[in-house]
Amino acid sequence: MGLDNANPTILSESELPSHRRRRRGHDADSKKQSLRNVLAAKPTFEMDPFYMSEFSDTDSDDSTLEPIDEQEIYDLIAPIADPEHPTSLESLGVVKLEDVHLISAASSSNPSALSRVRVELTPTVTHCSLATVIGLGVRVRLEQALPPSYRVEVKIKAGTHNQAEDVNKQLADKERVAAALENASLANLLRTMMKPCEG
Amino acid sequence: MAKGTLPLQISPLSEFKPTASSRAWVSIPNPNNLPLIATGTSDKTVRVYSLKNFTLHSTLEGGHTRSVRSVAWKPSTNPNAALNIASGSFDASIGLWRRQPDDATRESGQALEKEIAAGGLPEHSDGSEAEDDWGFMLVLEGHDSEVKNIAYSPSGQFLASCSRDKSIWIWEEVGAEGDDDWETIAVLQEHTADVKSICWRVDDGNGEVLASASYDDTIRLWKEVEEGEWGCFAELGGEDSINEHTSTVWSLAWEPTIDTKLDEGEEETEGSDSQSTLRLISSSADCTIRVWSLAQSEPQPNKPSYFNSSIPSTMRPAPADEKWVCVDKFPAAHDFPIYSIDWSKKTGRVVSTGGDGKVVIYEETTKGRSSVGGKIEKGWAIIGVLENAHGPYEINHVTWCTRYDAGRTKDGEEMIVTTGDDGIARAWAITESTEGAEVSVEGIKLEDMTTAESNI
Repeated sequence: MGLDNANPTILSESELPSHRRRRRGHDADSKKQSLRNVLAAKPTFEMDPFYMSEFSDTDSDDSTLEPIDEQEIYDLIAPIADPEHPTSLESLGVVKLEDVHLISAASSSNPSALSRVRVELTPTVTHCSLATVIGLGVRVRLEQALPPSYRVEVKIKAGTHNQAEDVNKQLADKERVAAALENASLANLLRTMMKPCEG
Repeated sequence: MAKGTLPLQISPLSEFKPTASSRAWVSIPNPNNLPLIATGTSDKTVRVYSLKNFTLHSTLEGGHTRSVRSVAWKPSTNPNAALNIASGSFDASIGLWRRQPDDATRESGQALEKEIAAGGLPEHSDGSEAEDDWGFMLVLEGHDSEVKNIAYSPSGQFLASCSRDKSIWIWEEVGAEGDDDWETIAVLQEHTADVKSICWRVDDGNGEVLASASYDDTIRLWKEVEEGEWGCFAELGGEDSINEHTSTVWSLAWEPTIDTKLDEGEEETEGSDSQSTLRLISSSADCTIRVWSLAQSEPQPNKPSYFNSSIPSTMRPAPADEKWVCVDKFPAAHDFPIYSIDWSKKTGRVVSTGGDGKVVIYEETTKGRSSVGGKIEKGWAIIGVLENAHGPYEINHVTWCTRYDAGRTKDGEEMIVTTGDDGIARAWAITESTEGAEVSVEGIKLEDMTTAESNI
């Protein structure tokens, strides 16, 4: 099997969001808000005087109110190795912080209330034959790491792959995902991808 | 809609113990009035639980190398017959299991039904239970990839299976019962993607009909179109972009034949052939439940768009096509894929569940006449909702099930059994919130408003 993309662009360390995880300012908040607009189609929290507050620190008490954020989700999937390159999905630009979307449960007191996570992947080339496997790795990683109330949706970012619809439908099918994990060769490939990748 | 205003309450009855440690896919009640339910799980086993006390009766293990995705009981009218279970697995095979009545039971002339009913579990002090009594009789092989669903036809004559390999196989047991001599009657390959589910319609005089639901977003109907020749005679969806599913169809259910319907409503439906053809409902990843009915207009033979261009039309039997159309949609209640629906043979109510962990019960109600002397307009209404039935977990299957536990208020009372990603099968009691709700239950069995009124 030849490489789909023998010379992928690899981002330098300073460009990677996981090394800037304390910088959670205006960008993240406005992004979160626009996502809510798009996905929830509900009134935003603009009227809430505290919503736009930039004074958020993951170590402070408010982390108990919102225990998981986009950055943490991103950090779970960023180190996954590309099945073709000994390089992380983060370095290849396949996963990007701004393409990790989270709608937290409406009720933080009910542990069964559902949260929605949507991750959009940018394949290195538009014909990447391994897009499904990479997407499977991302979905499985998140389903194993996040609480069971998180519903994970993994998609190919619009316009980045010529079979995006096919790949998206497969990744959304829990039965296909479950069966894939019982396929020994696929499971082995996923295990390799999950090993911590320093790239 | 506020929970308290709905006419039905769904309340926890029990979970079946011990539970599986990993995802459970499906739970199927025994169709022969035995108090047993069989659960297929990703731990590669089938667990048979007692409906009398919600505990494990026996386990079918060692037959599969991957998840058991589906389970089917062979219908039987003989209470002394052996129990037969088929299991469909991600390992691409179908397992056939048989449990003979205990020798002691047979000698004493006691039916298996009584044996199970007597204690739920044979009371062996050594704890061996009845687990050894299930024999793994035969493997049916032929599918290229995961078997997604299996179903015995209501007569027990056929076993159908469907797979990710896009095909449906019809199998028939040709020898005497117990000979384990099977033949492949048909391999149906017209779906263009995984076949997720199959569901048999009772023989209405024209043979048993099989419906199939697919990842290709369509539903197809199949029957023996000529002697020994099975073929597709209707495609539901795939032609009309408005009234069809826009994503994977996960589950199907045929309208049950409710006895009282024939008695009380038949003469009022003259000139309407479609009324006597049972309807089909389907649930989808597009979060809708649709109602399909045979169209009254003449079928249009050889309609080019009917054919899938990827398969030469010469390979198909000449279509004696029926035109089926989507005639209604259920009120929206789910915002994740609806994995399972079931239509109660006792009450005509429908229950649905899916990725959002919600259980919803619907009832068909009369909305009134569209015009003077016109047809009665009916619609489906939500009459019961339960959120987070398995906590945060997805629910893969739901079924109506007769109650046999000591807490039932009358014989034949129905409950709901849900099966989830938490490995648990749960039983739920259904209670009417008001007296008035009972009236509307009767109403749905009737074809005509005037009859319904006279009944009230």
